[in-house]
Amino acid sequence: MSIDNISLIFAALADPTRRAILERLSQGDSNVTELAEPFAMSLPAITKHLKVLEGAGLISRGREAQRRPCHLEPAPFAEISNWIEQYRKLWDTRLDQLEDYLAELQNPTLSK
Amino acid sequence: MATSNLFTIKRTLNAPRELVWQVWTQAEHLTKWFSPKGFTTKVVTMDLKPNGIFHYSMTTPDGLEMWGKWVFRDVKQPEKLELIQSFSNAEGGLGKHPMVPIWPAYTLSRMTLSEANTKTELLLEWQTYEASAEEIDAFNRAFDSMTQGWGSTLENLENYLEKSNNFLNKIY
Repeated sequence: MSIDNISLIFAALADPTRRAILERLSQGDSNVTELAEPFAMSLPAITKHLKVLEGAGLISRGREAQRRPCHLEPAPFAEISNWIEQYRKLWDTRLDQLEDYLAELQNPTLSK
Repeated sequence: MATSNLFTIKRTLNAPRELVWQVWTQAEHLTKWFSPKGFTTKVVTMDLKPNGIFHYSMTTPDGLEMWGKWVFRDVKQPEKLELIQSFSNAEGGLGKHPMVPIWPAYTLSRMTLSEANTKTELLLEWQTYEASAEEIDAFNRAFDSMTQGWGSTLENLENYLEKSNNFLNKIY
């Protein structure tokens, strides 16, 4: 997955209906009719949400002609975690280096 | 205007507050610690005052140069520094994250230094600034431990289900 998919994942997760769909799928595969049930929403509206989720790689859909079950895919969550982890690590590294630099300034006789 | 949750980092630094302030706000010092090893920091402008600008770039070992800009809002030596940070370009204009456009364009960043005997407590806080609902959501979601937990929970679930299936297939 390329890095610009991260925006797609965030955008997909930004909607409460889509998050609820993912929550439901975390309990097991489901088809469109079952997924639509809790919402006062038409099947086309739910399908639109599913397309967004599929586009972000958050769900995959089976090929069975009638039912096309939806399946939750965990990889995008890991991708976001990894991505944000890099940002935390950047600051950890910076602050480690700040500590070293401050030590050096206060004790210039310390050799490396 | 709506904003995100705070993302915070804390450290206790083994140095007096005044020194930490100098090292954080002077270009000659910043270039010595701001970039990870292998990267270089270049300071174009450092104008430490309200509405002043810190314009800089970080170049990766591969030669990719990424520009940043801080616009200072509150400068209270030696205890508090508040600024709006954004991605930028060589001309000092506004940029979005070069690879993830949904990431907030502006982030409010606050540095607070508190004295603790001869040491200094550093508190860094970030939140979105003038962000769209989507940018706010992305920021919150990124730092939400539930998101991080969910990923590994689902992977564990998948692994478990796969193992269960394999086991059952072997029996029957």
